[in-house]
Amino acid sequence: MAVSAPTAAPALAASSSSSARVRSAFRVEWRKLTSQLVTRVLLLLCALGPFAFAAVLKLQSSTPSDTLFGVWVHSSGFALPLVILSFAGQWGFPAIAGIVAGDILSSEDRYGTWKTVLTRSRTRADLFAGKLLAASAVAVAVVAVTAVASIVAGLVVIGDQSLVGFGGKLIPPGRSLFLVAVSWSISLLPLLAFVALAVLFSAVTRNGILGVLGPLLVALAMQLLALIGNGTWLHTLLLASAFGAWHGLFAQPAFAAGLIAGCLVSVAWVLACLAGGWAAFARRDFAGVPAARRAGWRTSARVALGALAVLAVLTVATNWGAAAVTPQRLRDSFAPTFNHLTLLQQRLLGRRVASGARLNQLTACARRGGASGGPGDDWVCNVDVLIAQSGPTPLEQTVSYDVSVQSNGCYKADSPPSFVGSQLMRVPGEGSVVNPLFTIYGCFNTL
Amino acid sequence: MSAHSSRPKDALVATGLVKQFDGKRAVDGVDLRVAAGEVHGLLGPNGAGKTTLLRMLFGLVAPDAGEIELFGRRLQPDQPTALDGTAGFVESPAFYPYLSARANLELLAELDGAGAGARIAGTLHQVGLSDRAQDRVSGYSTGMRQRLGIAASLLRAPRLLLLDEPSSGLDPAGVRDVWALVRQLTRDGAAVLLSSHQIVEVQGVCDSFTVLRRGRAVWSGTASELREHAPAVEYRLVTSDDMAALAIAREHDCVRATPGPEGGLRVQAHPEHLDPYVVALGARGVAIRGLDVAVGPLEAMFFALTGERPQPSGETAPAEPLAGGLIGDGR
Repeated sequence: MAVSAPTAAPALAASSSSSARVRSAFRVEWRKLTSQLVTRVLLLLCALGPFAFAAVLKLQSSTPSDTLFGVWVHSSGFALPLVILSFAGQWGFPAIAGIVAGDILSSEDRYGTWKTVLTRSRTRADLFAGKLLAASAVAVAVVAVTAVASIVAGLVVIGDQSLVGFGGKLIPPGRSLFLVAVSWSISLLPLLAFVALAVLFSAVTRNGILGVLGPLLVALAMQLLALIGNGTWLHTLLLASAFGAWHGLFAQPAFAAGLIAGCLVSVAWVLACLAGGWAAFARRDFAGVPAARRAGWRTSARVALGALAVLAVLTVATNWGAAAVTPQRLRDSFAPTFNHLTLLQQRLLGRRVASGARLNQLTACARRGGASGGPGDDWVCNVDVLIAQSGPTPLEQTVSYDVSVQSNGCYKADSPPSFVGSQLMRVPGEGSVVNPLFTIYGCFNTL
Repeated sequence: MSAHSSRPKDALVATGLVKQFDGKRAVDGVDLRVAAGEVHGLLGPNGAGKTTLLRMLFGLVAPDAGEIELFGRRLQPDQPTALDGTAGFVESPAFYPYLSARANLELLAELDGAGAGARIAGTLHQVGLSDRAQDRVSGYSTGMRQRLGIAASLLRAPRLLLLDEPSSGLDPAGVRDVWALVRQLTRDGAAVLLSSHQIVEVQGVCDSFTVLRRGRAVWSGTASELREHAPAVEYRLVTSDDMAALAIAREHDCVRATPGPEGGLRVQAHPEHLDPYVVALGARGVAIRGLDVAVGPLEAMFFALTGERPQPSGETAPAEPLAGGLIGDGR
């Protein structure tokens, strides 16, 4: 160690504005996050994953028909980013939030670096804000990369064909691209809510593993809660519902109630989680307590027990509020969708369909188990189609669909091939195309 | 001397600091004052409260009672200027292991602002890490991390340096360089607070001391005041006939000799009483093969104050405290 004259004229560091201090803390955190292998691997996966997914789909004849728009992935490149968005909303976004933000505070505990950064010229508030903004920015960047890669992969591998909306009508490519972009953009708000949740876990538990897994556990709990109960209150407050807020954009006619509710709910989650995280962070002592006395796992156990109790209460609460899924709502959505898809099927088969034509049909939806409403796999919709023929009495044909309805109002309906034909149809000059009536997706407004 | 009022040249004044963890007082009413240009040693055995005290001085831990003033300003950790002019580290310096030393310093300089970035190359050179600056910290030895910790402190161009066991993990040359650096800083007007559990290590560099025991300051004063109050020095004596030397020691009232743990004798005596004893050994035909200081006056005082007793290896172990008359505020 060479001893030389130390830095001369030690002076007080110039105080800077709050925003400048937060910006510098943000730059530090951004650099740290982007220097980490896990972040780089995540970005790489998100950039290449959609292309790999599209390539695999291209090689397979089957489709991920359990996912919204899944049946259309071979027919329109715009279905691919929506399929990925549906999946990402369930697991991908909470995982991204956990990986990026779940260790943002607890990593300083693990490396013992709180005492290093808190003895510089930045306050706890500056560092907290910088960390939050950096984690949010990286998470948004990761999702943006995924979105762009999904859209590009869909367009390159599949093509820019029109997309069939939830109402059964075709959405032109330009409009589809716009709606896909808006859908991904809308999903950033619940993503940020999960980032805030990860920060909360990180601040409270001081444990990186819980910080990363916490958002995924919450996402799992929310999905379980979404499966049960028929009330709108609790389901509306779930981030799982906020991730599905884009569904209304593809309904025909579109509805915005879910979108507005999803945005408000996401903001509320962000504020609540940040308030909790800041309260835990601001008041703590950085005392370097020996590992044996560290409160991390004890706190985590308490949080887990508390979470189970909350989950039990929430389970009861899933029935609070007005009924979300009713036979009337399902029928009002399913009947026109079936009508439009039937007309689309006829056009695809090369048959002439007059503009404004509509089926003469009667639709009724009900649950097999006798329940009056609610989400479930036991719904059935019967469509009585009256087909005009020579003579006074039209031919009546009944088409029966097994319908699986979720608490967010989205449903998937399947019918046996004996009613509507096989999944793929032979079209003269075009080869095989998807039979629009084989699997029907739809979403209705539950609010 | 009261620590309750800040003088213009005081860099650090702490008054009545108290911190309690789980009902146990880690720091119990400690006063501390460090003036510009002074190296102040904060001494005490492990668990005496030194690190908690340092954490309070850095704003990492909120005191349950008491006040801290840095350069005449009351320490308010929620203010970005709270630690302006202050630097150092608590326990071993910690950095991001997946980044290089230079990258770590760049991040810290970003948080410091005020031109700290321009000092990175200079501080790395000062601590002898220029050649390894691009290496990841995960591959650094304890000593190298210690050097990096000092570099990180110097980035802030400190007027008050708070260092917790700064020589820990350093080789002898490194220790010498750290003390030289500390001296250089104080010559330029900086104040330095050095925490250590070994007075031997810091007695050459410190101008004054505060000794902590079980969270309380049991002594505070200059090095010379500490020496004045020091008990008899303990010597290591090796003779041609230790049994005879023991017998002769019994004839000298102010000399206390016992068999040494590693052979030879341990002799406790003030220098003025040791000389007649040594002369007597020679006169009685007992050859002296070795005589050196085993426990110096400051060390002896430290052991007395902290209730520790010296071990052959140089480590310390709990012991009964010496007479209460030695324990008090020397200022």
